[in-house]
Amino acid sequence: MGVQISSEQAVRGAIQTHSKRVWRFGLALSGASDVADDLLQSTCLRALERHHQVTSHDRLDSWLMTICRSIWLNEVRARSVRKAQALSVTPEAELISVGPDSETNIFAAEVFTQVMQLPEAQRETVMLVFVEGYSYREAAALLDVPIGTIMSRLSNARQKLKNVMQHDAADAVRRSGK
Amino acid sequence: MKFSDETLRAYLEGNADAAEAVAIEAAIETDPELEQRLMALDSFAPVVKAVFDDIPAEVPQVNLPEAAVSQPQTSGGPWRLLAVAASVAVLAVSATIWATRPQPMGWAEQAAIYQSLYTPDTIASLDNSSAALDAQFALAEAQLGRPLNRATLEVLPGLELKRAQVLSFKGKPLIQVVFADDQGQPLAFCVIRQGEGAPTKDVKLAALSGLATATWAQDGYGYMLIGSNEQTDLNQELDILTATFAG
Repeated sequence: MGVQISSEQAVRGAIQTHSKRVWRFGLALSGASDVADDLLQSTCLRALERHHQVTSHDRLDSWLMTICRSIWLNEVRARSVRKAQALSVTPEAELISVGPDSETNIFAAEVFTQVMQLPEAQRETVMLVFVEGYSYREAAALLDVPIGTIMSRLSNARQKLKNVMQHDAADAVRRSGK
Repeated sequence: MKFSDETLRAYLEGNADAAEAVAIEAAIETDPELEQRLMALDSFAPVVKAVFDDIPAEVPQVNLPEAAVSQPQTSGGPWRLLAVAASVAVLAVSATIWATRPQPMGWAEQAAIYQSLYTPDTIASLDNSSAALDAQFALAEAQLGRPLNRATLEVLPGLELKRAQVLSFKGKPLIQVVFADDQGQPLAFCVIRQGEGAPTKDVKLAALSGLATATWAQDGYGYMLIGSNEQTDLNQELDILTATFAG
């Protein structure tokens, strides 16, 4: 598609469509919503500057993710980590959606905390595959690691998520079934 | 090597033995179908996805510069005049191009052009296993923000469901669902999210890019059925789809 769409229009469109995903990825990388705000803004400006590099309008989402990650690694990470010493992993209250069912909220908060407490490499992989739906090979290309690395990161992450999941998922299923 | 669902589940839960885990990880590298199966069986993914789906709750705001022709930086001197002359020339050319530009095409015209490039070979070897379609429909429905009524699409008379693909038109998610008729010819059903307030449109039949098409719009979504040639009779499918996708 997009025979007539200029690369700049395509990039603007992609920014509109994927801003939530890029922000979420920024959150997974940095662990802080204010840094995610900055990462999203920088990513979009950088993408717009580089729109002429776009040769295919397919998969602009992974292109945005790649830009976001490289800004994080090259420009923001050292500063943020130095500032905070460690990632803030307390779920920010406003990030967890407020539903009528408080038990569901507690479960969501626990899963959120567990994911955010994973080491950075596992966290970014979980975000790309579990949340954003990238395949293992797409995530491998995006993070520039072998597929086997993606799979072992996910296995390690599953081991850590297992406790909270098994405990609470059973509850959640039982509740939603009634 | 074949792996049973049981073996794959054991791997996902961390209960496979080491040799099996190594074998699965090695096989995935060259077997996208196995990868799709494994991903579809992963019970952790949907839970984590559900938790993060609403984060952030609002679409984050991004401040972008207006789309504009950037002026070259000049520091005066003779180059400046040259730069001005050059930018006047660029403007003149741009104005001519703008004045003679073709009318922008709508999504339906573009979708028809895209679909007209399909041949039976394009779709003959697509993996339409249940696991592949599960993954494709999950992605497509998430992008689109509405169900695609796969159960109906799977039993359209005379058509075999081949693939659901996420495309985009001017930043709006556009889903193309491809079918093969009994001769293996490609047909497509497309859905685009146009946003609330988009006008409702009755079914309109037209030949676009040499293909019979039917388009309609309702409740913020646009729909399009595309035949395999200009003569394709779309009526039967159209009856079912207009009834199924009535908002």
